[in-house]
Amino acid sequence: MDASVKTHFTGSEAPAPTRAAVFWRPTAKTGFVSWLTTVDHKKIGFLYGVFALFFFLVGGFEALLIRIQLAVPNNDFLTAQRYNELFTMHGTTMIFLAVMPLSAAFFNYIMPLQIGARDVAFPRLNAFSLWTFVAGAIVINLGWFMPDGAPDGGWFGYAPLTSKQFSPDHSIDTWVMGLQLLGVASIAASLNFIVTIINLRAPGMTMMRLPVFTWMTLVTAFLIVLSFPAITIALVELMMDRLFGTSFFEVSNGGMPILWQHLFWIFGHPEVYILILPAMGIISEILPTFSRKPLFGYPIVVFSGATIGFLGFAVWSHHMFTTGMGTVATAAFALATMAIAVPTGVKIFNWIGTLWGGHLMMRTPMMFALGFVWMFMMGGFSGIMHSAAPADAQQQDSYFVVAHFHYVLIGGSIFALLAGIHYWFPLMFGRKVSEFWGKLSFWVIFAGFNITFFPMHFLGLNGMPRRTFTYDENLGWNAPNFIATVGAMILGLGIFVYFAVMVYTYFRGEKVKRDYWDGRTLEWSLPSPPPEYNFAVTPTVHARDAWWYEKEHKEEIAKEKAEHAKEDAAHGGIHMPFQSIYPFVTSVGILIGAIGVCAVDYGHKLPVALAGGAIMLIGIYLWAMEGNEGYHIQPNEEDLKS
Amino acid sequence: MRLTSLPPSFARWGRAAFALCGLALLSGCDLNFWRMDGHQTTMVTAGPVAKSQLDVFYVTVWVTFIIFIIVGAVLAYATFKFKAKTEADEHAAPPEQSHGNPLIELSLIGVSILALVFIAVPTLKAIWFTYDVPEEHRENAYEITAVGYQWWFKFEYPNEQIDGAGTLVTGNELVIPAGRPVRINLRTVDVIHSFWVPKLAGKVDMIPNRGNHLWLQADEPGYFWGQCAEYCGDSHAVMRFRVIALSEEDFAEWLVAQKAPARTVAAAAKTAGELPQVQFASFRRNQYGFTSKWDANAAVAPLENWRQQQFPAKDEDAALIAEGRRLFVEKTCAGCHVVRGHEGMGITGPDLTHIGSRTTIAAGLLENNHEQMARWLKHPEVVKPGNLMYTTGYVPNNVQLNDAEVNALVAYLESLK
Repeated sequence: MDASVKTHFTGSEAPAPTRAAVFWRPTAKTGFVSWLTTVDHKKIGFLYGVFALFFFLVGGFEALLIRIQLAVPNNDFLTAQRYNELFTMHGTTMIFLAVMPLSAAFFNYIMPLQIGARDVAFPRLNAFSLWTFVAGAIVINLGWFMPDGAPDGGWFGYAPLTSKQFSPDHSIDTWVMGLQLLGVASIAASLNFIVTIINLRAPGMTMMRLPVFTWMTLVTAFLIVLSFPAITIALVELMMDRLFGTSFFEVSNGGMPILWQHLFWIFGHPEVYILILPAMGIISEILPTFSRKPLFGYPIVVFSGATIGFLGFAVWSHHMFTTGMGTVATAAFALATMAIAVPTGVKIFNWIGTLWGGHLMMRTPMMFALGFVWMFMMGGFSGIMHSAAPADAQQQDSYFVVAHFHYVLIGGSIFALLAGIHYWFPLMFGRKVSEFWGKLSFWVIFAGFNITFFPMHFLGLNGMPRRTFTYDENLGWNAPNFIATVGAMILGLGIFVYFAVMVYTYFRGEKVKRDYWDGRTLEWSLPSPPPEYNFAVTPTVHARDAWWYEKEHKEEIAKEKAEHAKEDAAHGGIHMPFQSIYPFVTSVGILIGAIGVCAVDYGHKLPVALAGGAIMLIGIYLWAMEGNEGYHIQPNEEDLKS
Repeated sequence: MRLTSLPPSFARWGRAAFALCGLALLSGCDLNFWRMDGHQTTMVTAGPVAKSQLDVFYVTVWVTFIIFIIVGAVLAYATFKFKAKTEADEHAAPPEQSHGNPLIELSLIGVSILALVFIAVPTLKAIWFTYDVPEEHRENAYEITAVGYQWWFKFEYPNEQIDGAGTLVTGNELVIPAGRPVRINLRTVDVIHSFWVPKLAGKVDMIPNRGNHLWLQADEPGYFWGQCAEYCGDSHAVMRFRVIALSEEDFAEWLVAQKAPARTVAAAAKTAGELPQVQFASFRRNQYGFTSKWDANAAVAPLENWRQQQFPAKDEDAALIAEGRRLFVEKTCAGCHVVRGHEGMGITGPDLTHIGSRTTIAAGLLENNHEQMARWLKHPEVVKPGNLMYTTGYVPNNVQLNDAEVNALVAYLESLK
């Protein structure tokens, strides 16, 4: 991968270690160790997906508990404190541990395939991102197993409620440290993706030929790199306040709680686009494939995606319309927020344009994608309603907002991610999901989702505030709440069916050949599942829908490939990076250190934190010293043909 | 073969389910689903600020609704028109590989911007209107300071001086003059809270180290429901309050009564006659077996009920009340609460000088009557999880109340009209 790499000519056999024996270079391709030491972007992507789906189910379970509590007025199914923990953890889990890593799973697995690369730019850093994400997820959830309980400051963690004075126990510390680790993981992964997309594109893959999903990966990665530092600063300040008695948010010493809100939302609003842009990318892949024609207005879709990314940094204070910012600031942020509706609307127009005149194949991914367009449109419209600041003064922190962002996050992000799983499943695992069960799960999810969240618009307009563990029966909120709870159960059932079918298909599904959907982008040129080295021959890209072009120009492409294959063979085959255990070791060190900082009582904090830090440093040192070597393998004869 | 590959029976069930959903929606009309006229609704307004906010909301609803109809119709048409009907269709030669049409795209962008202008203009107008009392009414505006505490509201009347006792202070029930702009300074002593009376005005946050304000006006006398709208810890959900708007004369009369020191019951007071009762505050289902029903058909309107609450009960027991007053000190209540003219001196809890005249207790949570007051005093931690009266009062001071003591305390507090 790297230019400086020293290579070993070992043929297709497992390579021999080259340095002192302390630098253990694991070679296992199957089994537990292979998963811990893998640097293969496909395996890492798969692991991201598995962890993300696990936390998606955890977050969903938390949501069901919340809905049970709110099914009837004055319910006592949950205590106030437990309820507050649940809504805090539901939000945190769904955003940071479900949707973001599920997007990262697709970035990892699909993006290198779409640009014709054999891996990401820094394979070991990629493994480090994965394991640090897992460490962060563990730290955030530690509270469930501690006497102090889980974090209960809300996913937004407003100071001064999260200060030592008002939340003296460890739960907020676990939340702070967990988010910090997730930030490290996300920033490392994003830098990796940016470098990969800029540097590792196959010959001929110009920026304006990039598949839209890859474009959205690039924009999202930039958003992460630019927005996470803001929350990192905020979290460091909060941590300093809590552990060392500084006064960033300490009111009695002149601290400014409003500062937290600005820092949080200057991260938090780009975060919204971090959640939705990958979804838009997936939809922009699925609609053309199943319409069997190119994306309508590719340049403007790409440009609007980038515009959303830019404008996303200019609207954060619309989360703060009720904080008394004054007329001018409120007006400015209201107008900027309205402006962002334009590039978003453009995407919807272009998706409809893509359908127009196509041959729509109504398969399960297409159902989810069309569901996305409808639901995202509705969420977008309630978003425009929020942009009108005076109207938002009534809607802010009411169930109307809850309805809005679930329409864009479930109806938007989750629908697109579920569509993406269906869409790329045949490529990843070489098996296809039953259309009947796929569509059944779609309709159950679609119905359950709308029954749950549509009534919440009415609840919010009728004055029900969010984050409340109970409500009165004389306020007219009973029927919508009960309907929402029934809907949530239906939604839960739909999700259960969806995953049951996926697990069944993974083991027993009908096997399919390559290019099951008659795809347009490069990943469909690969066998299912793709071999370790992805492309037997690095492809040359001649058009925007590269694989569609190849299918139409078979002879020309075959000639080109034979030449490239000869060149590769002259080099001794395909260069592959060695596996490594040190990214995992480093992440374990970080995990132990973080637990020492946040979850251990005073008196034992320092030894545990230092031990974790030492393990981390040892991991980094050995990682650096083992070298970035690799080995060569010969592609499979079968893969060379295509 | 049909592409859906759904068995016909499935489609039949689907239609049946659809019909059922339709029925459920229809019956939803009976369930007060669409009316949205609850006590805390934003859709039925009682003052110019909330009205202005609702008007902007309707503009956004109409603009987005029209766009939704147009775009949705095109999307639905495209979906059905271009759907591959059979598997053969799917494998037919692909359609023309067109790449877009810049003219269509640019004109759609233009139309979108135009639609947003329709929303932007009234939005800007309303931002300035709702921010502060309009210039021409500023002289007439009545000033109040609302202070958020975990989990109740203190209301100060900076212009209502009481001889030798500073300014007038009440808790959890804000009484304002009707038909007159009220400018409310928003402060907090601990975490961020938010002041929200949906029928009168949208919310503005109470943020530490920040001097926020809002203005509102109740056009007619009335009784309004309010609630904290920013998550503020354990009992955020039950941090509620009421706003009572009174005519100028009633308001003046109320001020005189409130400025008076706490009432002392020497002998049996004059009876106030048989008063119809109405329950309108909240009750929480719990292991103590309290239930509640909001009687929508009750003959007494909430505001009328509030008026009745101003009069002493007909059968006051002076001895019991005196015993309660003694217990108020002995049980350390006086350490946190003010009872002006009596013993209470503390300022960390709500002012109780005229607690008996309020319609609710525990921050708008319970109806203010003997039964609920007894319940609140006996098990505050159940009624309001994490509340400071329990965690910083009852627990460190080891306060235990038996039934007789609760009874006396309730009699005392209810006598503070």
